[in-house]
Order: sequence, then C-alpha cells, then structure tokens
Amino acid sequence: MEGNHKKARVRLCYLCNQRRAALKRPKTLEQICRECFYELFEEEIHQVIVKNELFKPGERIAIGASGGKDSTVLAYVLSELNRRHNYGLDLFLLSVDEGITGYRDDSLETVKRNELQYGLPLKIVSYKDLYGWTMDEIVKTIGLKNNCTFCGVFRRQALDRGAALLKVDKVVTGHNADDIAETVLLNILRGDIARLSRCTSITTGEDGPIPRCKPFKYTYEKEIVIYPSVENLNKMVTYAYFKRLDYFSTECTTLSPLFHGYSLVLFCYFIFPSCLLRDYFVAGIYSPNAYRGFAREFIKDLERMRPRAILDIIKSGEDFRISTSTKMPEQGICERCGYISSQKWCKACVLLEGLNKGLPKLGIGRSRGLDNNHRKDVKQSNGTKNIEGKQCGSLDF
Amino acid sequence: MQLTLEFGGGLELLCDSVKIHDVNVIPNNEVDKLTMKDLLVWVRTNLIKERPEMFMKDDSVRPGVLVLVNDCDWELSGQLDTPLEEKDVVVFISTLHGG
Amino acid sequence: MSCNSSGCQSICHKNDDQPSDSPPPVAAANNSNNLCLKCKTSSPITPGSLSGDEARFCADCFRSNIYGKFRLAVTSHAMISPSDNVLVAFSGGPYSRVALQFVHGLQDRAQKNFEASKDKSLSVFGVGVAFIDESAVYPVSSDKVDGAIQDIRSVVSNLAPPTKKLHVFPIENIYATDSSDGKDRLTKLLDTVNDATGKEDLLLHLRMLALQKVASQNGYNRLILGSCTSRIACHVLAATVKGQGYSLSADIQYVDARWEIPVVLPLRDCTSQELNLLCHLDGLLLSGGSSRQGSLKTLQPFGSPPSGINGLISSFVNILQEENPSRECTILRTAGKLTPFEFNRIPETDDCNVPLAIRRRQKRYNLKTKESISSELFCPICNGPLKNCNSLKLSSVKSCQSSRFNAACCSSCQFQILPKDPSSMENFCSLLPQQVVDRAKHGNCSLREQIQDCLLSDSEDEN
Repeated sequence: MEGNHKKARVRLCYLCNQRRAALKRPKTLEQICRECFYELFEEEIHQVIVKNELFKPGERIAIGASGGKDSTVLAYVLSELNRRHNYGLDLFLLSVDEGITGYRDDSLETVKRNELQYGLPLKIVSYKDLYGWTMDEIVKTIGLKNNCTFCGVFRRQALDRGAALLKVDKVVTGHNADDIAETVLLNILRGDIARLSRCTSITTGEDGPIPRCKPFKYTYEKEIVIYPSVENLNKMVTYAYFKRLDYFSTECTTLSPLFHGYSLVLFCYFIFPSCLLRDYFVAGIYSPNAYRGFAREFIKDLERMRPRAILDIIKSGEDFRISTSTKMPEQGICERCGYISSQKWCKACVLLEGLNKGLPKLGIGRSRGLDNNHRKDVKQSNGTKNIEGKQCGSLDF
Repeated sequence: MQLTLEFGGGLELLCDSVKIHDVNVIPNNEVDKLTMKDLLVWVRTNLIKERPEMFMKDDSVRPGVLVLVNDCDWELSGQLDTPLEEKDVVVFISTLHGG
Repeated sequence: MSCNSSGCQSICHKNDDQPSDSPPPVAAANNSNNLCLKCKTSSPITPGSLSGDEARFCADCFRSNIYGKFRLAVTSHAMISPSDNVLVAFSGGPYSRVALQFVHGLQDRAQKNFEASKDKSLSVFGVGVAFIDESAVYPVSSDKVDGAIQDIRSVVSNLAPPTKKLHVFPIENIYATDSSDGKDRLTKLLDTVNDATGKEDLLLHLRMLALQKVASQNGYNRLILGSCTSRIACHVLAATVKGQGYSLSADIQYVDARWEIPVVLPLRDCTSQELNLLCHLDGLLLSGGSSRQGSLKTLQPFGSPPSGINGLISSFVNILQEENPSRECTILRTAGKLTPFEFNRIPETDDCNVPLAIRRRQKRYNLKTKESISSELFCPICNGPLKNCNSLKLSSVKSCQSSRFNAACCSSCQFQILPKDPSSMENFCSLLPQQVVDRAKHGNCSLREQIQDCLLSDSEDEN
C-alpha cells in the first residue's frame, strides 16, 4: 500500500496509535485501524450476546441466511465467536428458496459457498417442498399484483418450519441497527403500537415455538458493509474484494418489471420486514410509493448529520411507555397445519387453499381488490368452510 | 491521472454492471489537482449510465454510500476535499443493498 | 351502489356525473355543481393550492368544523373553567393567531351568557396575551421589532370586548430583573452550545421558561399554546430521533401540568393546513400576508426555518404529508397510544395558591405505583421526565455543582446542549437562569428522598 506514505496527513488509530486509521466509527466517531476495528467489531457483538444472554451452551442455532451482507457477516462472526469463546453452540445455516428464477438461485449459490467456507451445515427449505408451489408458479397463476402477500406469509412460516426440521432452539437474523431504527420509524408512521412495542426487543417470540434474536441490534450497517471490505483489503490488488466473505448484492432482474406501480407491493413491504425484495424498496429502485424509501433515506441523512441518532431511535423504541395491556390477538393453532394462528386456519393455509382451488385471491388482505362477482364465487365455493369474511382485512402474525 | 474505481453493493448496476474501472481522469483546472469532489462530477458524467440519484445527492454521494480512498474511509481524509493522486484506488459501496 | 356515509357521497355523486372514469375524489372540489359536503347549500372553498377534505366544505362549515375541534378539546379536558385566567402565547404566526381568535370566541360567548343570565352566578374567564420578544438572540433591526409589536398590539386590542392585556416579554428577562446584562448572558449561554439542533432546542426551552414567568408573575393559571397536529407530529419524530422516547408522551397530550402554570394545547387536533387555510379565509394574518413573508418574518427564531435535525425532520414530514395527507394525524395517533403521565391532566385541586411542588408531593403520597414515583424527576433543561435507571447514577455523584447539574440532565440534553469539557460546563452553568439551576437542585433533593424511601421500604420487606 504505497498510498500510505505519500499522503501528507496520515491519521493513526486511536487504539493502537501505530497503524493508519482506516475507518471512522459511526457509533463513537473514533478513527480506527482495520486490525483494531476487526477485533472491536467482534468483541462488541460478543458483549451483546453475553449481556443479553442470547445463547445457552449446547443450543442448536439456525442462522437465517439470505446470502446478503448482513447474514453473511453474521454467519462468519458467529462461527468465529463460537469457536473463540466456547459458546458450545451447534450452528446451522437456514435458507429459504422461494423459487424465483434469477434471484434466489444466485443468492443461494452464495450461501452454499458460505457453507463450505465456514463449515456450517446448510438447510434449504423451498416453497415447492413446503407448499407445492414456487413463487414463479404463484406469479404465473395470480398475476403481478398480490404475489408479495404470498411470498411474505409463506416465507415467515418457511423459516419456522425449516427451524423445526433442524430441531434448533433459536433462529438468529442479521437485522442491524439501521434496520431496527427504520422499523421504529415505520411503526410510528403507520400507527402500529403493538409492533412498536416489540420491534426493539433483541429476542422476540419467546412464547412461540422458536424464538428469534438479532445479535446485530446495535451494529451500524456501515460497519457491517465495511467489515468484509476491511478484512480483505490486502487482496485488493487481485480485486477479490469480497472473496472470503462474499455476499450477494445483485438485484432481481427477472421480477423487476413486476414491481412498478403496485401499492400492494408497498403493503407487503410493511407487513413483512423480512421480504426478500425489501432491499429493493429500501434502495428506492422499485418503490412505487416512495414512503419506505423516504424512511431509509431519512435514516441515512440523519446518520450523516448525527451518527448517534440511529442508536437514539433504538433507545427511544426501548423506552416508549407502552402499557402492557396492548396485546396482540391471542394465538391459537391452525386446525390444518398446526402452525400458530389467531384464526381457525393460518394465513398460509388460507392462501394455499385459494391457490389449489384456483381462487388465488382468497384470503388476500383487502377486500377492495375483489369485484362483486368474484366475491360471490368465493362465497359459493367456500361457504361451508366458513373462512371467508373473517379473514378479510386481517393478517395474522 | 490514472485511477482505479470500484463500485459495489449494487452501485455497479448503475454503470453497465462493471465493477472495476481503470480510468484516466484529466483535471480541468489549472493547478492540476484532483479532489474527490471533482472525481464525483467526472464519474457522474462519464460512468453512471442510469439513475444518477442512486449514486449522488446534491454534490456528494448519496447518504448510505461508503467511499474508501486507498482502503481508507473518506471521512478520515476530508470527504469531498480528499486529494487524489496518481494510481489511487477509490471504492464506492452502497449500504442500501440486501440483508 | 348506495352508501350513506358522508365520506362516500361526493364520490357517488361524482360517479353519477361522469360514469366513465373514477377520478380521485379531490377533483370533486373543482366541480361547480358540487356543494359543501355538510350544509349542501353553499359552494365549497376552492383555494388554488389546497386540496383534501377541507376544500370540500364551504367556508362557514369549514370554520365551524375547526372551531368545533377546538371547543371539544377545551371542554373534554376541562382546559378552561369560569374562574380561570388564561394566558395565550402569541408568536404572530398562524397557529397561535387561530388559538387567540378561538379563545376570544369562547370568552365572547361566555360574556354574553353572563350578561343574559339573571343571577350572574357564572363568572367569565379572563384572557391575556403574551408575546416573547426574541430579538436579543438574532440580528434584527429594532424598527422591525417595534413594527411587529405594534401589529400585535392592534390585533389584541381589536379582540375586545372583553379587553385583553398584552404582555410583551423580552426573552432575556428570564434572568432576574435586577441584572441588567440579561441580553449578554443569554447570548453567551447560547454560544456555549455547539450543536445547531441543541441551540434551537435550548432556545425553545427558554421560551417556555419565559412564558411561565409571564403567566406566574401576572396571576394566570393556564397557558394556552397554538401547537397543532403538524407541529406535534414533528415533535414526535424529533423526540424519537433524539432518544427521548420515555418523556415523549408527556409532551403531546392536551394538558401538561408538570409546569407551575399548566399548559394546554386546544389545537392539538387541527392540522397546519387547516389553520393556514382558516387564516387565509378570515384574513387573520398580520400585515396582509403570511407570517413568513410579512413583517413577522423577523420574529421567527433566528430569522430562519429550523435547521439541523429539526429541519431534516420537518422536511421529512412534509414529504410524507405530500404522499399521504393524513400521515401527520397517524403519527400523532401512534404517539397518543403511549401511556401519558400522571401530570397530563388538569390538577384536581381548585386552590391554585397551593404551590405545584406541594401538589406533586401530595400526588406522590396518593399513588402507590412505582411508575408514578419515577415520573417525579425531571431534566432541569428540557423538563422531560427522567426514566428511573437514567437518573439513578445521580446518587453516586458527590462532586462539584456543574457535574451534579450534568448528571441531573437527560441524556439527550447532555449530548446536544451541555458542553463536553468541564470548564465550559462550569461557564454554561453560571450563565443559566436561576430557575433552571433550581430545578436541578430540587431534582437532586427529591431523588435523595426517594432513595431513602426505597431503602426504607426494602428493609421493611426483609423484616
């Protein structure tokens, strides 16, 4: 790195005071060299894990792996920490294959490489196996409009079912501080007090079958992105930038024309924070309704003005005075598949029933999407099962 | 001035999906110096083929785009005022991509 | 398709006219065949730049709708009772202008009722107006200030009978009246704050201090602010971004009695769009223009719109509002679901001579829950209630006064207002108005009491 010496102003790392600083940490505004950053980054995650008692020795943990930057870095760091600090965890990679040609198959390649690189067993659960339908087939049947509802509902269950197949105790996801701050804002913007009260918890679903936790809750997105970069800087000459921690950052070209101008896409984006296409709305590329993009952009503008604001939003989210009587609807069990559900049938079963009967609009959120005739059809064919009506306008999660 | 520019995290899609560009940028001022500010203008004119708003906002990069100059966070070297020299490597990574 | 809800009628009506398409209902306002949604006799307001529901009312119905929201807020929260003496904070801007107009309307009606009644049993509440002159903190020619004050004086004197007293209060008078260097101290105080947002917020807190002082010195027992939905929505996001999630719910209620003089927000349910339209319709603005363009421009804080975090938030809210005109209301509704504090209601005691501190203490004894105990502590700068864990570190601090003061503040004020190094911190403390310093002392004392209470009750439990 010849650049080191020709620059007049070389700033040194505030920690070791020896090496050249490579990064300004957003959390503290301190300048730090890559070696110290690397160490500190991992140590802070370790502290979060210890302080919040995220894991117990002997637990089986699934890492929700999408092939994107957050989950890739999470898989790497978690396997490192597990080794270094003897957590005694059995780690697995868990991926969902929605069956979207050109998007998921590529990102799954990344996850498969991660499997080899980190030596973590990988489980891929596909919509095809779980539900008998790929997203491509669903899109073919129902058209462009409501596919996000399917994708989101199926995906959420798929992670849980995959976790059940792996017999894991917990699922960890790569949500970072920026994501959580954004979720806090979005819940305020759409008036969802129940989700507002839960979205900053580091562990959720402890009362459910498989709890989920977010070890990156306090980790800035900037550091997650730069982490693999810094780690591989020596290899820059070979341009193998993300060689060791390679992650997938290509947009979906196959589906992209689908996402112009449909407000339900936006709806999906809100209801399903884990939607695989979320990031394209974040990037504002496909946002037909700019609102979500605005929120992300707002977060980034805020971070530039006051990096601490991201952690402050999370703090606010934790401190909001929300009365504990604000309850989510009581959870029961789906009569058909046994998955948790506040209704007789879980949402996935309702959607599936519609798909299999050739009435794909059955169970999709808002009734205004249905014209009168179609509604009648639905009533006639399903009248005995008594699921219409009750389902309209309510999504159970 | 010979520079190596690299685009990542989805930004490469804005310039024909090419990640690495070896470019020759000629400073158009008399003092023969080039700063990041000048480079951004040059990139916007010469490399970005679509949606420039994904890359830039006002006269800087869009918030959420990381810039590394010779492996170093540009926030440490003065951001837009960072001076560039022959054979420098500048990396742009969007943080707004997949999780 | 038949439908009885009023929201639907114009759409159905519209469809009858033009069965081919279904244009957005807003377009209905431009149709001259349409009548006011409510009275169905007059034609609706069709102002050039405005759209949405309010444009579908005629001027009279629109006015009575807004006034109705105001009156509902006043009556359902017992904001004003006949024996009260209320002070309206008037900046010269559209929101407080409407607040003043409406309060006058209430008072006028009460006066007429009083005159008509035989036994004269119900008295009429008193109204005063406060204008905080902030020319000390930003450059503005004295001519302009005098002109603006003249305008305000004429507005207030026109709102009679009953006559209303106008209090013009230079903000530097938050310092004791015998100190002649108030202006100087205030400027120096603001100069110690490096963060632009922190400076703005500190000025905001000082303005409240000034209003409280005017009210308290002149025998008022209510302070009326013109905060509207849009302003409060911005505050919700600002407080969230600044890490003030705990205290947020204290700031956004109709009533806020944590102050010596309880503060009420009767325009909480009116949007800025509505209030601006009303000002426009009724020619309420001074100098024949909007407050931002007319002579009142100089009365904006620092003569400019909010900058820093506050500016970012207000432009964010503007974008959201363009995308969905009810977004501000949704934001406020979300925040409204947060649990308010014990002091977010008009205190029950009728005797206003009882100092607030005593009333607070009574409250503490009356209430057993832990939550209400924790809400006893307030940040001396922003007066936001402190979360318990945040303030417990106080107990270990036994050092100098300025570091004690530092520890008494909320983390948000610590970050954006308080200077970081000890010597500037000392300087900052010496420049603060006495009331702020006293608040910190009071906080420290009551904390010590509380800790002792806790210790006592703990040991009792063990026995």
